[in-house]
Amino acid sequence: MELFDNLLMGFSTALQLNNLLFCLIGVVIGTAIGVLPGIGPIPTVALLLPFTFGLSPASAMIMLAGIFYGAQYGGSTTAILVNVPGETSSVVTCIDGHEMAKQGKAGTALAIAAIASFFAGTMATIVIAVLSVPLSVLALKFTAVEYFSLLVLGLIAAVVLAHGSVAKSLAMVLLGLLLGLVGIDVSSGVARMTFGIAALSDGLDFVPIAMGLFGLGEIIANLERPAERRVVSQSIRSLIPSWEDLRAAFPAVVRGTALGSVLGVLPGGGAALPPFSSYALEKKLARDPSRFGKGAIEGVAGPEAANNAGAQTSFIPLLTLGIPANALMALMIGALMMQGIQPGPQIMTEQPKLVWGVIASMWVGNLMLLIINLPLIGLWVSMLKIPYRLLFPAIVLFCCIGTYGIANSLFNVWLMMGCALIGYFFIKVGVEPAPLLLGLVLGPQLEENFRRAMLIADGDFTVFLSRPISAVILAVVAALLLAMLSPAILRTRKEALAE
Amino acid sequence: MTRYRIDLQDLLFGLFLVAVATGTLVATRNLTVGHAADMGPGYMPRVVALALMAFGLFFSGRGLWRAGRGIAPVQLRPLLAILTSVGVFALTAERLGLAIASVAAVMLASFATREGRVVETVAFAVVLSGAAVLLFVKLLGLPIPIWPR
Repeated sequence: MELFDNLLMGFSTALQLNNLLFCLIGVVIGTAIGVLPGIGPIPTVALLLPFTFGLSPASAMIMLAGIFYGAQYGGSTTAILVNVPGETSSVVTCIDGHEMAKQGKAGTALAIAAIASFFAGTMATIVIAVLSVPLSVLALKFTAVEYFSLLVLGLIAAVVLAHGSVAKSLAMVLLGLLLGLVGIDVSSGVARMTFGIAALSDGLDFVPIAMGLFGLGEIIANLERPAERRVVSQSIRSLIPSWEDLRAAFPAVVRGTALGSVLGVLPGGGAALPPFSSYALEKKLARDPSRFGKGAIEGVAGPEAANNAGAQTSFIPLLTLGIPANALMALMIGALMMQGIQPGPQIMTEQPKLVWGVIASMWVGNLMLLIINLPLIGLWVSMLKIPYRLLFPAIVLFCCIGTYGIANSLFNVWLMMGCALIGYFFIKVGVEPAPLLLGLVLGPQLEENFRRAMLIADGDFTVFLSRPISAVILAVVAALLLAMLSPAILRTRKEALAE
Repeated sequence: MTRYRIDLQDLLFGLFLVAVATGTLVATRNLTVGHAADMGPGYMPRVVALALMAFGLFFSGRGLWRAGRGIAPVQLRPLLAILTSVGVFALTAERLGLAIASVAAVMLASFATREGRVVETVAFAVVLSGAAVLLFVKLLGLPIPIWPR
């Protein structure tokens, strides 16, 4: 079986001592930022990127991936104990999780969340492994024409399925594309939009942009809101859930995993969409929906499984096609490019050790997380007592140093400062910055493939429609955009995202 | 939030896009555009800028047309404190070294909230600065001076 050979190869990479160490570092950092509200995985990954230069590509990716799914575990701890989501993906867990905590069942809620996450993580790893091979075979048939269409699909789908106004998100993608064009044009050697600044000739680094928009802009906006953090100081009694609890939670976990796995693969999905859908589903299926909001165990188990499964399967488009499903995957693409690996449909055949190593490491990481989260829960709870007034200056400092570290350039620090201001502006006018990051990272690839396709076809735009694979992909794009215009779907989407 | 006759959020975002698009068109006016089969370096910037312009005009127009929510008032304190903190770090990091720049950045950032207490902030800044030097310079080998040159 090719699948087992691949997984075996993956485990042989993931179980190397140094990779195990980096996996552990990744999931510990991930849990920490997950527990702390106000720091998300995006600025954290951006911050750590510069320091992955020295690592092997596999170690770097294993660590960065660990941060992402680790944050999904940590986020639920804060949601249950403090009723504040540690991450956006754990908003739903607040509802019933915190209610359980109030009834003195905090330990059970935490345990169920961790077990559901572990189950989902394990299943999602299998899903990734099974889906990866056929997708990569398909990917090998791709030329510049198909790849361009695929990039367009990735961008459009990410916009349509994510939060916020579709038109504004499209504008943000374009803004990102434009920023991606800054620098010396590869095919003609002419400087574009560099305004005579030497540091711009290699293009804009996306790390300062990501940190400014997501990290600092967010901090400034957070500080404007009045401080509200009531730490529920309650002892966590037994962490071992009862047999009835497990039996009640199990079907929800399975459904959440399935839902999360599917939604995670879709561009724009990632970890944010699945928990909401899972909660809605559980409520609909429940014999007595009124229990929800009053500490229903299914309301914790389902969404927690869904966000973990989604976080992991959102790696599928990245690992097989080189297309990021969300802003964080865009950063991972950046990490690959920094390592000198060109992400694209060929990545699986050219870097099998890397891809399978990362896949296998996810399961290893999930096992670590189960251990880190349950017995060590007290440690994370004490971390919640760090006040925000000490936390944010530290984040600002680390962002400064990290940004400087990418290219040892002060220009990047200034760039980050500018982006912080723009990020704050975006928050004020109610625009999501994530699509901008997708556009920025995909921009150069989009232009290159478009130009190559035009060269192949001699400037004939119909080539995108006359090739079958490309035509199908573009048909999906058109369908998505048309669906957005239909008022009925628009309404359901609004309701789904508002819930 | 109070409701306004115009949608200020849309209007501001639209104007921002128009400004960016105009800036791009001006900055790339001398680049060869070429045509689809043989694109010059100016082709993509122009296409994207024109699309942005269209979006910008659309949002500005819609913002003026329909009623919307206002914008929560801007609080200058956190904004200025964070931006100054980053700016001062950029100015001092290479000249005065990481140790001093870190202390300055942390203390300036702390001004963003009124909750801070002077003694606590100073002590915390010194500790963080030490940790940053240890972690980034000693452990991760970041080539940046620790003390003034």
